[in-house]
Amino acid sequence: MNALIYDFARWLDTHAWSTGLHESYYMYNWIESTHVLALMLSLGMLFLIDLRMLGLALPQVPATTIAQRLNVPMLAGFSVMIITGLLLFYAIPVRTSQSLWFRIKVVLLVAAALNAWLFHRRLRAAGGGWDAAPRAPLPLRVGAALSLLFWALIVMCGRFIAYDWFDCNADPAPLIGALAGCVPGQEQF
Amino acid sequence: MFLVRVMMAVTLPLAALLSWQAWGHHAFSAEFDKDAPVTLEGKVTKVEWINPHAWIHLDVVGEDGSSVAWMVEGGTPNTLLRSGIHKNSLPIGSEIRVRGYEAKDKRCQPACKANGRDLVFADGRRVFMGSSGTGAPKDGSDPRER
Repeated sequence: MNALIYDFARWLDTHAWSTGLHESYYMYNWIESTHVLALMLSLGMLFLIDLRMLGLALPQVPATTIAQRLNVPMLAGFSVMIITGLLLFYAIPVRTSQSLWFRIKVVLLVAAALNAWLFHRRLRAAGGGWDAAPRAPLPLRVGAALSLLFWALIVMCGRFIAYDWFDCNADPAPLIGALAGCVPGQEQF
Repeated sequence: MFLVRVMMAVTLPLAALLSWQAWGHHAFSAEFDKDAPVTLEGKVTKVEWINPHAWIHLDVVGEDGSSVAWMVEGGTPNTLLRSGIHKNSLPIGSEIRVRGYEAKDKRCQPACKANGRDLVFADGRRVFMGSSGTGAPKDGSDPRER
C-alpha cells in the first residue's frame, strides 16, 4: 500500500505543473494563503452552526435559519479550501504523502465527512419541533461537538505538515516510519 | 451581552492561534537552536529551489580534511529572489559562506541541518537568505528587522 502511494506520488511529481508550483515565485504562496483564508470562511461558518446547535451562539435565532443562511458561504469556502488543498498536495506530492501529520489529517477528514453525513441524517430525523429551542436534541449536539473537535484537529495537523520531525529522510523510528509510509530504500523524498 | 461573551470565547482563541501563525511559515524555535550559531564555508552541492523553503546543500571541509554534508534552509524562492539570490546564482561547486543556526535535531539526517541567515558569495557580496519574522535571533543579518 505504502509503495503504491509512493509510486503514485512520484508519478505526480514528474508533472511539469507540479514542479512549476513547487518552484514558483508567486503561485504557491497565493494558493497557500487562499487555502488558509478559505478555511477561515468555511470553518468560521461551520463553527457558528455547531455552536448554535450546542446552544452557545445566537440562541434566539432558529437553528435551521442559521444552518440554511450560513450553509452557502460555508460551502463556497469549503470548495475553495478543497481545490487549493489538492493543489498544495500536487505541488509537493512525495513529501506530503509521506507526512505523518498529513496522514492523520486525511483520516480525520474522512471522520469529519462521516460525521457530517450522520449529522444531516439526524437533522432530517429530528423534524423541526426543536428549532426555536436554545439547544438542539442530544444526537445533533454530539454531532456538532465532534465536528468542532475533528476540524480543530484537522487544522492543527495541517499546520504541523510544515515541520520535518518525522520526515522519511530524517530516519524516523520504525513504527513512525511505517505509519508515515516510508518505503525502504526509497530514492526520492 | 450573551452574544458578546460567545464572540469573545470564539475569537480570542482564534486570535491566539493566528498570532502564533504570524511567527512565519514555521517557527524558528521549533526546529533551530538560537544558541548554536554556525558559520559554514564550502562548495555548493545542490540547490532545492522549492516552496515553502529553499534548501542550499554544501560540502564543508573541516581542518582534518574530512567533509561534512550540510543543508541550509532559506526563505521562499520569492524571498530569496528579492534579496538577490536566484536559481542560477548558486551553480554547483561555487564557494559560499553561510551564517546561520544549527538545527536542534543533531542526527544529521540526511545532512546536518541549519537555518541560514546570510550568505556571502565568492565575490564577497553578502545577502540575507532567511525569511523575516520567524522568531530567529535579531543578529543584524535581516536588513528589515527593527
